[in-house]
Amino acid sequence: MEFETNSKDKERKKLEEIDPVVEAKNISVWYGEEKALENIGLKVPKNNVTAIIGPSGCGKSTFLRCINRMNDLIEGAKVEGKIVYKDKNLYDPDIDVASLRRKIGMVFQKPNPFPKSVYENIAYGPKIGGMNDKEELDEIVEESLKDAALWDEVKNRLHSPAMDLSGGQQQRLCIARALAVEPDVLLMDEPASALDPIAMSKIEDLIYDLKQDYTVIIVTHNMQQAARVSDYTAFLFMGKLIEHSPTEKLFENPDKKKTEDYITGRFG
Amino acid sequence: MSEGRKSYSESLEEVKKDVLEMASLTEKGICSSVEALENYDEELVQHIYNVEDESNKLNLEVEKECMRLVALQQPVAKDLRFIATMMKISDNFERICDLAEKIGKIAQKKGKKDPLKPLVDTNRMIDIICEMLEIVKEAIEQEDTSDLRGLSDLDDKVDDLFSQIYNELIVFMVKDPKDVDEATDLVFVARYLERSADLVAKIASRLVYMVEGERVQIK
Repeated sequence: MEFETNSKDKERKKLEEIDPVVEAKNISVWYGEEKALENIGLKVPKNNVTAIIGPSGCGKSTFLRCINRMNDLIEGAKVEGKIVYKDKNLYDPDIDVASLRRKIGMVFQKPNPFPKSVYENIAYGPKIGGMNDKEELDEIVEESLKDAALWDEVKNRLHSPAMDLSGGQQQRLCIARALAVEPDVLLMDEPASALDPIAMSKIEDLIYDLKQDYTVIIVTHNMQQAARVSDYTAFLFMGKLIEHSPTEKLFENPDKKKTEDYITGRFG
Repeated sequence: MSEGRKSYSESLEEVKKDVLEMASLTEKGICSSVEALENYDEELVQHIYNVEDESNKLNLEVEKECMRLVALQQPVAKDLRFIATMMKISDNFERICDLAEKIGKIAQKKGKKDPLKPLVDTNRMIDIICEMLEIVKEAIEQEDTSDLRGLSDLDDKVDDLFSQIYNELIVFMVKDPKDVDEATDLVFVARYLERSADLVAKIASRLVYMVEGERVQIK
């Protein structure tokens, strides 16, 4: 009798083997009395895309906002635990939150360009950071727009209002704007959900390309999108991390029944 | 045609029913094939051909339905493994029906003449294959893998019987060259049966993947 199990060595690195760029340790969040996240521990691997999925209200966006301390801006929000980035807890009192948000940038569901020109949208961050050299700014604008796969579409109208761009272009402009300040990590909260399928597919291609140089964490309602763009997927449910696995594993053979029920649409 | 999640589950059940029907057809086809070889009966041979024809059609239906579910429902996790498995094993059942048809053709060629030798070991092979098919049918029905590992032993037995038949028939050929043609046909029959058992073992491997998510090889 022969009964062989094939090895799975060729699969993506196991999470316990990775060196994370960002690591959440026992993160809990309260909005007033209500606990939104409970003891989340999650390692985010460098130069990979990590997707966070889960039903509405499960704490996905709350978790994303913990990573660059956007929850600080929400009244009544309280965060416990650590977010470790470059050996520092981002919740230490000596952290400069403004420069943290440059290193860990964010893109939101709805494109939110400034009511300025395409050029000014990108140059804004570097200028705030003290850069005034026109040539250098031109270079940053061009590079950022190229990285966001928008350059060819806007190079002849850099000084036109950003608001004149299509929704998909505006979203890529917001991504370019985040890239202009040379972040390590990009947080994306439903970045393609307000876009049509063509614009969505461009954003997805872009996310795939961006991981060469950046680490991306994306929150999405769209499970197929998570499956398409991410290397690792975390499933949150009612404020708890249920499962965090390589994406192929999670969508082909999840460990937890709750994950299986959610992704197959058999919840409740 | 669009469907909600409830009828999606019903569609998956329908696919399972069709594949179980494929399994039953396969059992009928392969068992009848050796029977036709032993006691030639034109109607029985026609029955084997009909079974093969039906299995082609049903296999295509299973494929169509699975592709439709993949396109419209984007199955993941267990559903995805189920659909991929059903497509694959339905194909394997259909291939066994093809082999039964080939045996039917040999039976037709031989006609009512007595076989070169009593088909004792060939019948043993058929008994084991039917036992294997019963086990996989039960596993499909219950989505339970507990008996599937045992198929490896049964497949080994079929392999041994094939070697035995082969050696025996070589002796026949050496003894009297006039028997070469008929002996070769019987070697082919044994080979087709040995191949059928391999295919049932492959089906079992896929069922383990479907239920447990692990890729294994039962052979």
